[in-house]
Amino acid sequence: MSELAVETIGLSKRFGRRIALADLTLSVVRGEIFGLLGPNGAGKTTAVKALVGLVRPTGGAATVLGRPLGDRETRKRIGYLPELFRYQEWLDARDVLDVHARLLGIPTKRRADAIATGLARVGLAPRARERVGTFSKGMQQRLGLAVALLGEPDLLLLDEPTSALDPVGRHDVRKIVEAERARGATVILNSHLLSEVERVCDRIAVVDCGRVVAQGGIDEFLGVVTTVRLRLGPLTTAANAVLARFGRVRLEPPWHAIAGIAEFDVPTLVKELVANDVAIYAVENTRASLEERFLDLLRPVPDAHDRFADRR
Amino acid sequence: MLTIASLTVAEIVRRRIALLAAIATIVLAGATAWGLAQLAARIPNHVLALTAASVIVTLLAFMFSFVLALGGAFLAAPAIATEVESGIVLAILPRPLARAEYVLGKWLGLAAALVVFALVAGAIELIAIDMAIGYVPPHPWEALGYLAMQCVALASLALFLGTRLPAIAAGLIAVVAFGIAWIGGIAAGIAGNVHDATLLHATTALALLVPTDVLWRGAMFELQPVAIALASHAVTQNGVGNPFGPSGPPVTALVWWSGLWIVAVVGGAVASFARRDL
Repeated sequence: MSELAVETIGLSKRFGRRIALADLTLSVVRGEIFGLLGPNGAGKTTAVKALVGLVRPTGGAATVLGRPLGDRETRKRIGYLPELFRYQEWLDARDVLDVHARLLGIPTKRRADAIATGLARVGLAPRARERVGTFSKGMQQRLGLAVALLGEPDLLLLDEPTSALDPVGRHDVRKIVEAERARGATVILNSHLLSEVERVCDRIAVVDCGRVVAQGGIDEFLGVVTTVRLRLGPLTTAANAVLARFGRVRLEPPWHAIAGIAEFDVPTLVKELVANDVAIYAVENTRASLEERFLDLLRPVPDAHDRFADRR
Repeated sequence: MLTIASLTVAEIVRRRIALLAAIATIVLAGATAWGLAQLAARIPNHVLALTAASVIVTLLAFMFSFVLALGGAFLAAPAIATEVESGIVLAILPRPLARAEYVLGKWLGLAAALVVFALVAGAIELIAIDMAIGYVPPHPWEALGYLAMQCVALASLALFLGTRLPAIAAGLIAVVAFGIAWIGGIAAGIAGNVHDATLLHATTALALLVPTDVLWRGAMFELQPVAIALASHAVTQNGVGNPFGPSGPPVTALVWWSGLWIVAVVGGAVASFARRDL
């Protein structure tokens, strides 16, 4: 069995003259929560749609759970929550899940339990017999999550799963995603909420203009380069030279901020300052946030307008 | 495929389309029975009353055919198109379900609902006429069969168009095609009478392209009494007759062609939807 839940190699998709995916190469390891990040129109949703067979790639290759795209048996093991989540408004919540349970081929005797469990997990059990047409957007998104979770999929693809949810709903989704990983499922999370991604994802990929511009583990991605803030006693010239050797020094009274220092160099810096008789009152290690890294990665393009112009 | 078919039928029932159709059928049957009873009371000559009833049956069949055509087109056009526009398919199609199964399931559900409606509503209407004035057309089930087939043909066309076009456009084009085919049938009659080979070829091509008029004429032929068919045959020179009085049964090959046409159009819908990015 392949170690990878998803592998794409040079995946591309054109819609007429517009390029939605251009050489998308990424790999998602089984059992991890993988975040797909990128600005609007970067190609994240097209990538996910290609993985579930809604969009036919125009180039490249991809496998899902070790099988080619669109494989029927594999689709039994995939749960998908689309970004545009809409369900038959004339059905009630239970019936929507029943339709999907039938399509999945869940045996009749297990169907009722699977549906009840799914509705309970997303907090819709009390509304099981209400028509979807009466649901708020948030409730419809919860229903979509229950649909995606049906049949205990090996791969869960969630496209903006919290876009319509309140903070409580977002917390619930986070818990569900973590529970799915604990069960052994792989989760691909497409989200704009970077703090959320930072909290739950094991690895991430940043997509821009249909390409992966960065990919890796959260720690690896955020990097070992940090900013250290030190509250120090009086400094000698030699001590100042020590600080300058480890990074760019900025005064933020009463702090000295050393930017660009590697995390593993911090103990050495402290040791050298002590050796230079500097009194150290406090040391704060701050890593770049995902948002800062995200913006750094996307900044090289002169302005956003140009980036979108490329995609047209 | 059967899950999608049953879901399609369930939608027709739960959206109360079936209930409204049933109410309309009962109201129409009641009104027809009342009207024909009034007619029977005012025309003492029973033969004359039956002749009048046969004409009214023809006009009712025309209205029923129009309702079926419109109903078929406007039920089938949004069946796929609206689910694509709304995003419902985004959750359905990633399931282990071939796109062909989705399209065929939609078609099967629609065709079943439309055939049942055509046969049941038509039968209720004919029973009401029989009870009111004692008139039964010569071959009622064959006529209803032709009307049901015409309705399924148009629904198939609307479903096919709905795989690529917005629902309203698909429905409108299907209804326009139905109208053009009907006018084409009249033009064929004129072409025969004036011996215009070019127009005759053009109308034959049109009948092959959209064969709904062939089926309509089949229904008319099965409904009209033999005496009227003979009279119609006597006044026409090419055997086509007018849309309300065809002078002979539809050409068997054309009826078979209509069946093949439905298969081809549904096949076209499957092929068209299979290649669509969603």
